Amino acid sequence: MFLTLFTYFSILAFIGLSLLKAYEYARMPMHGRWELYPVPKEGDGRGHYGGSYYEEYEWWNKPRKVTHAGEIVDMLKEMLFIKNLFINQRRQWWVCYSLHLGIYVLFVWTFMLFVGAVTELSGTPVAATAGVWGSLVYYVTFLAGAAGAVLLTVGAGGMFLKRMSDSTLSRYTTPQEYFNLLFLFAVAVSGLVVWSGDPGFNYGREIMMALLTFSPIQADTALTIHIILLGAVMIYIPQTKMSHYVGKYFAFHKVLWENEPNLKNSYMEEIVRDALSYKPKTGTTWSAPHINPGSASKK
Amino acid sequence: MSAKNIKPQDMGKPSEQLCKIENLMPLPAPYDKPGMEPDFKEIKEDWKKNYCATLDGFVANDALKRPETKEEEEEMIKKFLNGMEKLFLEDTNRGMLQPFMLSFEYCAKCNTCSEACHVFKSSGEAEIYRPIFRSEVLRKLYKKHKQGGSLVSRFVGGDIDINIETIMRLGELAYRCNLCRRCAQTCPLGLDNGILAREIRKIFSMEMGIAPKPLHESGTIKQLTTGSSTGITKEAFLDMIEFMEEDIYEMTGKKYKVPVDKKGADILLIHNAGEYMAWPENPAAFTIIMEEAGLDWTLSSEMIGYDNVNYGIFYDDVQGRKIGAAQLKAAKELGVRRIVIAECGHAHKASMVSQDRIMTGEDNIPRESFLPLLEGLIKKKVFKLDPSRNNFPVTLHDPCNIVRMMGIVKPQREILKAIAPQFREMTPHGVNNYCCGGGSGFAIMNSFNFTDFRNKVSSRMKFKQILDAFQDTIEDAEIPKYVCAPCSNCKGAIRDILEFYQATAKFNVHYGGLVELVVNAMVDIEKPFLEFLRDEEDMMF
Repeated sequence: MFLTLFTYFSILAFIGLSLLKAYEYARMPMHGRWELYPVPKEGDGRGHYGGSYYEEYEWWNKPRKVTHAGEIVDMLKEMLFIKNLFINQRRQWWVCYSLHLGIYVLFVWTFMLFVGAVTELSGTPVAATAGVWGSLVYYVTFLAGAAGAVLLTVGAGGMFLKRMSDSTLSRYTTPQEYFNLLFLFAVAVSGLVVWSGDPGFNYGREIMMALLTFSPIQADTALTIHIILLGAVMIYIPQTKMSHYVGKYFAFHKVLWENEPNLKNSYMEEIVRDALSYKPKTGTTWSAPHINPGSASKK
Repeated sequence: MSAKNIKPQDMGKPSEQLCKIENLMPLPAPYDKPGMEPDFKEIKEDWKKNYCATLDGFVANDALKRPETKEEEEEMIKKFLNGMEKLFLEDTNRGMLQPFMLSFEYCAKCNTCSEACHVFKSSGEAEIYRPIFRSEVLRKLYKKHKQGGSLVSRFVGGDIDINIETIMRLGELAYRCNLCRRCAQTCPLGLDNGILAREIRKIFSMEMGIAPKPLHESGTIKQLTTGSSTGITKEAFLDMIEFMEEDIYEMTGKKYKVPVDKKGADILLIHNAGEYMAWPENPAAFTIIMEEAGLDWTLSSEMIGYDNVNYGIFYDDVQGRKIGAAQLKAAKELGVRRIVIAECGHAHKASMVSQDRIMTGEDNIPRESFLPLLEGLIKKKVFKLDPSRNNFPVTLHDPCNIVRMMGIVKPQREILKAIAPQFREMTPHGVNNYCCGGGSGFAIMNSFNFTDFRNKVSSRMKFKQILDAFQDTIEDAEIPKYVCAPCSNCKGAIRDILEFYQATAKFNVHYGGLVELVVNAMVDIEKPFLEFLRDEEDMMF
């Protein structure tokens, strides 16, 4: 029963700690504008060449033209394909994208394990030779699992080796950053070991069924190691900068693409008014003489 | 140590000079021949003794003096660490906490930013100018400070010496970045090394009271006490306006009365006051445009109302806010409907973007760039223009603050297309432009040998772009060429490179603003408005 509880705990920890991270960033005070163009949500085609509403004469009297479609497209390009790295660092992109694509595909695999578990619990077998639905679930799970495991292994291992062998990257890589990649690599390799003994991922569906029915997970040594490593990495990721899936949202949406003007009687004006009424809680201030003449005269 | 093999951890290691620039990026013809480029000047011994020349042999921060005693040294380190902690607190860094924390925490160190940085590329890829280098020094210092020398600290990257050398060098290194934010455009995670450079400047200024004198003592402090960073007082300003009216009459034969402190005017036009002193033809051209268009406008002679400069945005949030508030106060007292910012890039950003989060209600007077206003006037054919008067090669420099940081891209191009038949773009341009090398205060920082760094390193990419844009005519000294830079600081930096490389003297390359080109094309004005064309005409007769 330990493995079942541990798996539940690691899933909840991953979600909970990621949400906590997002909450910490979301509750940070309103900051000064720090946008950077192109801002893809700018309407009238401006998002493409980097223009903004400031190009309009008396811009504050003009209707604000925003295209959320442009923003979503740009966001998806970055999320799904790591566009900026592809354009600017093609050689590094291959391994980096392999790692990220591996993770995305493994999410699909996890979902397919869930579908497979529900299918089996409802009495329909999932196997290569089962009916249309059973074999479809089987093969999609197989393809996603195989592709995800290989891509993640190549990506994590490749990035580790690249960081070790590239003199510039190694100069800036901390021991923790090597450890992070090795940790992911270890999870991927332990998964490959387990998979090699059960190519159809039946063990995965059995784990999912155990989780859904809250019953003990039956695992041999290899699977036990894999489950513990996978759970540990899920607890670990949100506490490190590997949680950049959270930071990236804020960096783009709340900083680089946040150019909402503070117009009279707008909701932004309310936010600014609230922020301006803030009273410091700690009494800590900057100490330079031009800011705090009192501190200088006391000395 | 080779400039390419330095690590962030080396910042605290004693050496006479951590990095020596050796392989500058080559320049295109005709500057690809030996002897075309002046060498770096030798650094003087007393600069080495009193300031921090141990980073790269340049001194940018003339207020960053070496401590003379052990006590002073310890006090300086303590203040730095206190200031560093304040970057992470809501009470002391509310205005930048979220952007700062994101960039501090999440960098994957993929080095995508390096290829985008003009300083790094121009220097021949000297490691200390790599955008993540200084960011990583700050991260290491913070981790070491919070977790000491423990194994955990070293594991997470806190493996740097916290000593006076690290701190002095970091104080200098914060002024090797133009804050152009081109690096942030390429970051897959949307992070910004520019903000970290600026936050380091804040530690030194806001906690330690140390900032380059041209920005602080002769910049924001002077502006807040006299009304302008140039030191121009109200009386001097009014005198200058009178002189300007006379100059316009001499140049054009037209008499204009410049409206000053006109209550209830539609537009308050604010210039960078440096224009009145260095390039009076620019406010003169604005006067001609505003008057010929029949606009209801005014200048202000009130405290800070006649200088749109705000160097606070380069290094100190408090100074930035004080100046911004004073500019809006001057406009409110005049009762104008809107403020129009003239040709100054950082003033555009300070006034329209940074101050957008510090005022509400009636105090929040609308502010706009002169560019859409001028574009509208030209499109409506308010002026009779003859583009053939500007029939020489013209290229456009995009000021980072106006373009990359505000998204004003098209109006200036529409204007140039209407008035300059030989207009050609630089490569790259628009939001992907390169900084002039004078950004974030460099244009006015002339202490010691820092001008060498600016002219040979930070402005190098811009000079290359200018040469590339004029490759078809560069070696034909008979043909004048014009770099249009609608920003005072950029103009200053471009003026200096053209002089440093003798590009005006040898190849007839000139620079100036956009409004001067517009006035030069006005049919109603008989003589050329651009000085180099007037000189040519005088020589003919």
